[in-house]
Amino acid sequence: MGKNVNLTCKVANLIFKNPVLTASGTFGYGVEYEKHLDLNKLGGFVVKGLSIKERSGNNPPRIVETPCGMLNAIGLQNIGVDRFLKEKLPKIAKFNTHIIANIYGTQIDEFLELAEKLNNAERISAIEVNVSCPNVRVGGMLFGKDPNMVFKLTSAIKKVSDKPIIIKLTPNVSDIVSIAKAAESAGADAVSLINTIAGMVIDVKSKKPVLFNKIGGLSGPAIYPVGVKMVYEVYHAVKIPVIGVGGIYSADIALQYMIAGAMLVEVGTANFVQPNITIEIIKGMEEYAKREGISNISDIIGSCCK
Amino acid sequence: MQLQIVSNKQVSKDTYLIKIDNPEVFDAYPGQFVMVRVNNYNYPLLRRPFSIYNLSNTIDLLYRKVGEGTSMLSLKKPGDSIDILGPLGNGFKIKSDKKLILIGGGIGIAPLCFLKKKIDERKMNCETYFGFNSKDEICVDYGNIATIDGSFGYKGNVVDMAIDKIEENSLIYACGPTIMLKKLALLCHEKKCNMEVSLESRMACGMGVCLGCAVETKNGMSLVCSDGPVFDYKDILWEKM
Ligand SMILES: Cc1cc2nc3c(=O)[nH]c(=O)nc-3n(C[C@H](O)[C@H](O)[C@H](O)COP(=O)(O)OP(=O)(O)OC[C@H]3O[C@@H](n4cnc5c(N)ncnc54)[C@H](O)[C@@H]3O)c2cc1C
Ligand SMILES: Cc1cc2nc3c(=O)[nH]c(=O)nc-3n(C[C@H](O)[C@H](O)[C@H](O)COP(=O)(O)O)c2cc1C
Repeated sequence: MGKNVNLTCKVANLIFKNPVLTASGTFGYGVEYEKHLDLNKLGGFVVKGLSIKERSGNNPPRIVETPCGMLNAIGLQNIGVDRFLKEKLPKIAKFNTHIIANIYGTQIDEFLELAEKLNNAERISAIEVNVSCPNVRVGGMLFGKDPNMVFKLTSAIKKVSDKPIIIKLTPNVSDIVSIAKAAESAGADAVSLINTIAGMVIDVKSKKPVLFNKIGGLSGPAIYPVGVKMVYEVYHAVKIPVIGVGGIYSADIALQYMIAGAMLVEVGTANFVQPNITIEIIKGMEEYAKREGISNISDIIGSCCK
Repeated sequence: MQLQIVSNKQVSKDTYLIKIDNPEVFDAYPGQFVMVRVNNYNYPLLRRPFSIYNLSNTIDLLYRKVGEGTSMLSLKKPGDSIDILGPLGNGFKIKSDKKLILIGGGIGIAPLCFLKKKIDERKMNCETYFGFNSKDEICVDYGNIATIDGSFGYKGNVVDMAIDKIEENSLIYACGPTIMLKKLALLCHEKKCNMEVSLESRMACGMGVCLGCAVETKNGMSLVCSDGPVFDYKDILWEKM
């Protein structure tokens, strides 16, 4: 007891001071949270999904609360990669933590253009690729639903980018393991999972879906068992690091993800409820390690019996 | 911020006034709001937005019990602690060269009561028009009151009661149901006067990151939480509301 716990984790060539990151779309561009927590204490943060052009997103209503969760259909509203690099990145560059850019496109070329633009941004540690978006070239099917498409996209991005590439997987597939393997064989440095789970809420009075977009993505505490299970399955199928996302709101849930096989975790919706929740989670992890006599937190990764 | 509840009492039908101990750090403008966590568990998950109704040595919120979250809030006892985030958003701007008219519908009176206090403190004048469905809902002891069922004051809606008082030089501050605000927007357009409206929308974070509370404006999508909740009525695309 009393010994310091080593919380560092390594993904690709990057050392994270602790395994706790924030998830894309739930932490703005970082600056919004400055007054709520010391960003230097985070393992890293993933910024809101960036596209080539600024996007205004879906019409409202965009969110609806569900038991222990929420459904969102924001429509990837963002300021576009150029404005991000010019206006936001300089403001967060001072933080001593990893900044990960999340990107999203409607065809492979757009992803490549994004990856190229981010290549020169020194403070961007890695790129997380959101494949939960429709590929307009093939009738709007999600990139992330087809292993071949994920393979093609990943290898193309790897060719143009010098940064570690994280492929962020959608849970809305019949076999997430095959998608993760496709990403791995195309050279992905890591996979993160899960993105939101597709869902719908109906207003019984009007008999219409509550969201303008009809369908939204479920997030929050309600979804964590789905994420833990998928991380567990993927961990046993690939050799690259797995990043656990989905419903994390306490150190306990974050630890479940790590024991299932996650090297790092991303906290999403919980930031909305408790802006400094990530700091609490880091503390809780450290206490757990001390209590259990663990000196390196990375020792617990994948320790769940098979 | 964990603060202590000083009192939490029903003041009219389904309407409650909660007073929360105010640490000195907390100052706010009329129209600003706070995000309240109604319990420490994951259900209900999201914080609830409430306008600031009054601010002194307590932070006061006037709320209507409409669902799960507000019902749970109504059960809180003095001495219980409560987690609030704020003050958030942009409030009303008080202008001295205009005839100020406050028009509130139902629980929409909450931010206007705080505004009225600030206008009074500046020794300026304003007229107040508040509308309710019926007498038992009334939770204010001043102003011109309208009730839909005619059980108190003017019989009918609050906009019809105020209509003759609105002039070109008027500046209206309004908060209430969307249909009321839409009606007022049309009226302001006809009378060529100005209006600041406080809007409501479902929101998760209250600080401009979830992008959930979007409203369509002349300048594209705006966020109720961080661009508003108070907007110039001319910026809002009312046909989309
Ligand atoms: C800026 C702002 C200021 C507000 N000020 C006040 C106030 O001073 N007094 C007051 O009584 N109410 C106010 N409201 C409305 C209040 O937030 C809702 O009545 C409350 O969230 C309902 O929660 P519930 O769990 O009881 O209802 P439920 O219907 O069970 O809530 C379900 C979900 O919908 C959301 N929701 C429901 N109604 C509204 C609404 N009208 N606006 C926004 N979100 C809603 C809830 O937050 C929750 O996430 C304000 C809303 C906003 C946006
Ligand atoms: C409002 C909102 C916006 C999101 N935006 C993005 C995004 O732009 N890109 C992305 O890859 N994931 C996005 N996500 C998904 C989250 O990063 C995360 O994968 C998901 O919400 C599950 O984690 P959670 O339950 O902790 O929120 C968004 C989620 C929410 C709730």
